[in-house]
Amino acid sequence: MVRFKSRYLLCEVCVEDRSSLLLLEERAIFHAVKTAVARSHGDYGAALLILSFAVKYVNAHTGIILIRCRKSHYRILWSALPFISCLENRGQKVQCLISCLHVGGTIRTCQKFLVKYSTQQLHRMLPHCKNEAERDEVRRAVLSCSLEKERDVEEEEEVEEDDWEDE
Amino acid sequence: MEEPAAFERLVYKNASNFHYMKICLVLENGSRNIEAAQFKQLIVSGLRQLYGEVGAAFPFDLLKFDPGTLTGILRVYNSGLVKLWSALTLIGSYQNELCAVRVTQVSPFLLALSGNSRELELDQASPTGEKLLLT
Repeated sequence: MVRFKSRYLLCEVCVEDRSSLLLLEERAIFHAVKTAVARSHGDYGAALLILSFAVKYVNAHTGIILIRCRKSHYRILWSALPFISCLENRGQKVQCLISCLHVGGTIRTCQKFLVKYSTQQLHRMLPHCKNEAERDEVRRAVLSCSLEKERDVEEEEEVEEDDWEDE
Repeated sequence: MEEPAAFERLVYKNASNFHYMKICLVLENGSRNIEAAQFKQLIVSGLRQLYGEVGAAFPFDLLKFDPGTLTGILRVYNSGLVKLWSALTLIGSYQNELCAVRVTQVSPFLLALSGNSRELELDQASPTGEKLLLT
């Protein structure tokens, strides 16, 4: 048996206003990518893409998306991505830019890369904190996401647990 | 017993960077006046339809065009030959009029397009039949 091999493109949607990221939706991305490929590679490219094209993962908070396509033709998709300049969602047009972070063979490797990349970004952005209070804020926010911390919180009083969850 | 002829391997490598195509445009309602620029525009629009903006950007030239018979000679890089040919095949209409592009001859040598063996006619008047007429 031979399986169909795919390529997963891990991309980041960059927008001017972070709040407009929340409008990000799977269908809007699907449509935008399809039209971009059809424009830059014509009927031939669009037909090749549609074989196993899917938007596997959308994170509206961080703007990370994961797109799947056939391994043999991922270059078609790859080269068309920079030509997407706006995403349309519920009648609203959002100017954006899609940059490809990683091309992987499985979702697993993409996830591994994403964790590594996010850690790197955090290390890069931490020195930008202006004062100690800001740094503490970030530290607390990071710790609030980790699993160990959550377990600790459960042991503590309920009132404090609510505080953590708010962040 | 004769010695069998020694095995000889001949490898032909195409030295030419280009391919030349002789093509002919056939319109549904007979011929009409089409300029060389319009003809090239038609081919580019066919390429854009099939291969998009990327496909429409690859280089090819219309070397010669005869508006009377709507026949032209194209020069294209070897890498773009298949794309160009397939796009030509799928051209279906010119200014809302059905049309087709016939590829008469394809060769890596321009000289080969000067004559077409399919259009050779043996001169019946000549008793020996040696004289050939190019039409």
